[in-house]
Amino acid sequence: MESMLSNPLAVRILSHADDKLMLGHVQSDWTGLGPILEEDIASSAMAQDDLSHALTLYQYLGDRYDLDPDVIAFERSAENYFCCDLVTQSDEFDWAGSVVKRWLMATYMLIVIADLSKADDDSDLGARCDRILPEQELQVLHLQRWIIRLSNAGDEARERMQLALDRIAPLAGMVVEMPGHGPSPQESCLIRREEIFREWTAGLHETIKQAGLNATFSLPEQTQLGGRRSRHADHFKEQLVEMTEVRRVDPGASW
Amino acid sequence: MINASNSAKPAPTPSQEDPELLAQFEQRISDGILIEPGDWMPEAYRMGMLAMAEHHANSEIIGALPEGEWITRAPSLRRKLALTAKVQDEVGHGQMLYRVSQELGKSRDDMLRDLVTGKTKYHNCFNYPAPTWADIAMIQWLIDGAAIMNQKTLADGAYGPYVRTMNRINMEEAFHFKSGEDMVLTLMSGTKSQKKMTQAAFDRWWPVTLMFFGPADKPNAESRPPMRWRMKIEKNDSLRQRFVNRFAPAAQDLGLKINIVTKDDQGNVTSTTPDEAIMLDEESGNWTFTQPDWDEFWRVIRGNGPCNDHRLSLRRFSYEQGGWVRKAVGSGTISTPPAA
Repeated sequence: MESMLSNPLAVRILSHADDKLMLGHVQSDWTGLGPILEEDIASSAMAQDDLSHALTLYQYLGDRYDLDPDVIAFERSAENYFCCDLVTQSDEFDWAGSVVKRWLMATYMLIVIADLSKADDDSDLGARCDRILPEQELQVLHLQRWIIRLSNAGDEARERMQLALDRIAPLAGMVVEMPGHGPSPQESCLIRREEIFREWTAGLHETIKQAGLNATFSLPEQTQLGGRRSRHADHFKEQLVEMTEVRRVDPGASW
Repeated sequence: MINASNSAKPAPTPSQEDPELLAQFEQRISDGILIEPGDWMPEAYRMGMLAMAEHHANSEIIGALPEGEWITRAPSLRRKLALTAKVQDEVGHGQMLYRVSQELGKSRDDMLRDLVTGKTKYHNCFNYPAPTWADIAMIQWLIDGAAIMNQKTLADGAYGPYVRTMNRINMEEAFHFKSGEDMVLTLMSGTKSQKKMTQAAFDRWWPVTLMFFGPADKPNAESRPPMRWRMKIEKNDSLRQRFVNRFAPAAQDLGLKINIVTKDDQGNVTSTTPDEAIMLDEESGNWTFTQPDWDEFWRVIRGNGPCNDHRLSLRRFSYEQGGWVRKAVGSGTISTPPAA
């Protein structure tokens, strides 16, 4: 586990896997409780996509570091998770917030997974990411349509969507925070971070314009630390406790 | 499953229908020809099928709740994925069955509203608690196993859209059952505490599953409309016996003990004694067993079970929270394609 946690590429992959795990974890909580049966089914399918993408990436790391993917997923201490703050946010059963959050993250994940898939020196990682990408594209398309449809469906829906965006947009910058415990990232990493942020938010603004909404996204200062640097909100520890409740009944048992 | 009433308007009795049309309708059923939504049908048949399909749909989406509560605690990524997919399937079954019901004349929104206001019912077994991971295994093994037995007979019914929906649902239920069987097997092959947890869950769910098929039918059930018109195919006691014949030896093979239990108002088991009646009657080939507490069955069906309020209030909360989305996408009515 330690050698994985001290490798910058492994930590970067881990941060994407942790995002996927938490997205799927929070979204799966909606299964059976969505506002429309058809969308309940669709959003559950996306939660399953996210969980299986997390599994794909944990399996990649497991193969490299001889670790069980479930041990990587469930048996790290909170400070060794590198998910961003946005994905650990509870939706509080606000569908507008859920759609906005998932749309922001799906759009971001499409860029970073595509980036990983181009790893020239690692065909295994590239192949695994290539399998994720089509499902990721579908998520973006589905969620973009919901953003536009709900925002153009009357005053109440528009107001709810704008409120959700107002609440969530300030957290967006921390999504591109460099993950890990190590020293300050190198200059080349920071430049890439800014490129990803620009590409990501440019795509977001296109949809926001079609939806008739308003949002400002800004890149936080490097001194601001969040989940990717292990500074998780208190509720993340509660989520971890819930997520590992059964495993802790009998540690080491097969379930 | 046929115990829901959906309309205040009294349906014409079969004797008030056109005798020639009624005779043709009954002839088609006895010839094994499926009844389709555009065909003539007695009003009592339409309302009976609606009540049955709506009750079944309600049961699917309420049934998603006890298992849904365990998705966030599933102990591995594969179990988490499987459980999410399983609960998603149940919601999908609800969606298909609401479409069948819609074609029989009731809107989706009216059905959901009647469910959350308590006007219509759902299956009694979902009013029981699932306090451990092993309860999820038992729901998938015992309840889904019982559901497959029941629904396989319903797939031999006469109403086309419902029959085709049962066939689709049964294929998915078979996966759920296999998943449950695998979970029970894993737990019973595991540690001492896992086995103890599993026995406790089995004690909670065995009597609930015996009640699953409903109380004994009236003596003349075969000649009454539900069976005469092939809305219902097999008697409750017959299904229950087939279930015990299949699952009593399977449970014993896994090392589970079949007990008679007493429970408190919260559904917690307060005492267990071995069911001495459990044995194979060589002459009949049937396993004998002790009947569940039918007084408890009626208490729960009247709304006084351990989880009636919890299940319904969560469903109501979801319905209310999602109202603005339904309004936004279709002024409260959802446009859906025709049933299967």
